[in-house]
Amino acid sequence: MNVPILIVDDEPDMCWAIAHLLKSQGFNVITASNGADACFKLANGDFSVVFLDAKLPDMDGLEVARRAITMATGRPSIVLVSGYHYQDDPVVHDALTEGIICTFLAKPFTNEALLKTLYSLLSTDR
Amino acid sequence: MMGDNSRFEVRYGMLLNAIPSSVLIIDRQLQVLSVNENFLSKSQRSKESTVGRLLADVFPLVILQSTGIEENIRNVFNSGVAIKGQKMTYRAPGVPLRIYYYSILPVPNDQIMLIMEDVTEQVRLSEEVRRVERHLASVVESASDIVLSTDINGCILTWNSAAEKQTGLTTQDVHGVFFYDLCDANQKQAVRQIFQRMKAGNEPHTTEFDLLTPGKGGSILISWVFSPMLDDYGKTVGTVVVGRDLAERRKLELQLRQSQKLTALGVMAGGIAHEIRNPLAVCSSAAQFLLEDNVSADFLKECMRKIQTNIQKASAIIENLLRFARSSLDTDMSEVNLNNVLKETIELVTNQAKVQKIQIQLSIQKPVILVTGVSGLLQQVFMNICLNAINAMPEGGLLNITVNTIEDRVIVRVTDTGVGIPPGELEKIFDPFHTSSPVGQGTGLGLSICYSIIRQHLGSIQAESRLDQGATIVVTLPLL
Repeated sequence: MNVPILIVDDEPDMCWAIAHLLKSQGFNVITASNGADACFKLANGDFSVVFLDAKLPDMDGLEVARRAITMATGRPSIVLVSGYHYQDDPVVHDALTEGIICTFLAKPFTNEALLKTLYSLLSTDR
Repeated sequence: MMGDNSRFEVRYGMLLNAIPSSVLIIDRQLQVLSVNENFLSKSQRSKESTVGRLLADVFPLVILQSTGIEENIRNVFNSGVAIKGQKMTYRAPGVPLRIYYYSILPVPNDQIMLIMEDVTEQVRLSEEVRRVERHLASVVESASDIVLSTDINGCILTWNSAAEKQTGLTTQDVHGVFFYDLCDANQKQAVRQIFQRMKAGNEPHTTEFDLLTPGKGGSILISWVFSPMLDDYGKTVGTVVVGRDLAERRKLELQLRQSQKLTALGVMAGGIAHEIRNPLAVCSSAAQFLLEDNVSADFLKECMRKIQTNIQKASAIIENLLRFARSSLDTDMSEVNLNNVLKETIELVTNQAKVQKIQIQLSIQKPVILVTGVSGLLQQVFMNICLNAINAMPEGGLLNITVNTIEDRVIVRVTDTGVGIPPGELEKIFDPFHTSSPVGQGTGLGLSICYSIIRQHLGSIQAESRLDQGATIVVTLPLL
């Protein structure tokens, strides 16, 4: 529970919503509002899970995910959260097959679905 | 005296033989007493087999029966009154049908003179003239274009069926009416002047204006050609006016623009989805927080505010879309602030630019730049140019729009930092169906539609580019 979760979204309200949800469950939360910021935080910190937006002002979420694999110390589980892609989107499918992301969550999502995703990732981690 | 008589008879005989009509002298018993050369040659008979014979032996039975010529002759004998100008068709064996007019005149000594004039050629000619006239009339009648003629003052003389069909006015309705009285009130004077011009010169005049359709209500937009009608001496005696309904063409143009717009909407769909689903996601989460127990008053308010602002965000995006999708239904020119058109356009493409990491810059010289135009159409033009620019920058970049006024024109330059246009393609990009997109991804109609819209606004559109150094589309419009 102490290993923080990173939320990457350029939309402050989106960060607010996910952050509130996770904090209410007692998680530590850190947010990033663009790709560069996210990469910097991933390179300098340890995260259990990353909730990653697909479309960031400076780079694609998937690009952040690719970089995270090479530089993040603890290999966090990455959840792509996007309104741009859909569940059976070929791009999402490819990213899942390549192992760049662990799972995909389409916006808008239910809080329950987000938490279920989170807990299933944390339990497989353990 | 005898000598005189016989000389007279010879002359009389010569005269009879010289005239181009058949002449027969017949007595009360319907016996042929004498005939002239003309009759013999037309009927292919000899003098011996004709003179002294009964009329029934000289004329074929069928003619006697169909014309009742014997009856007519008896009537003349009885009444002493001549019969003139009866028609008779006669075919001698082995000769084509001939048509005659015949007259029966009483002459002294209880005889009558039957004069037959061959009018076959005249009848054939007048039928030919009628046939040509009918053909010309049916050309005019069958035309799907409006064809009408007027006198020198513009007073309608003829009006074809296409004109009847399209206006709902019959020939009787418009005969003697001044053509310009069928035009919209504010165009009457201009149309009147065209007729004035027809009087003087012999140049045709091409124009477009509305024709009132009182029979159907409203009016229709027509493309007109006025041509002076000249007599044999080159003097104008009237005007021929040909008009083509532009509604069909306008409808096609509208459809084309509309379908191009749908293509643009398709291109924007990704950006729009992203931009709408984000606020939806925030609303959804916030609403779910509110469902939880023990929500503090402050947090409740915060959630409400988030929901409110995000609904407004999504709604604004949809509103812009609606405005874009519907705008072209309105095609009346009016005063337009070009800056507003550009700002609205940028708002619309921002979503797409954002997902492609493209920055948009707009620099405007003056707050209000007025042009005459259809704001929806102008927006479609700039939307197209911007989306093209965005498509040219798959790796992100800068979309720079500058607006400058020079003298009586405004110049809008839309510059991207994308892949650019190869030199050979530059002059082709405004051609219909020219596309650099892979098959199925672009119709190649976008810029050709921009071109037609800008032309309609009396402006011009050009492209400048160097490969790999981006492209600039320059739109010039006349200022109001």
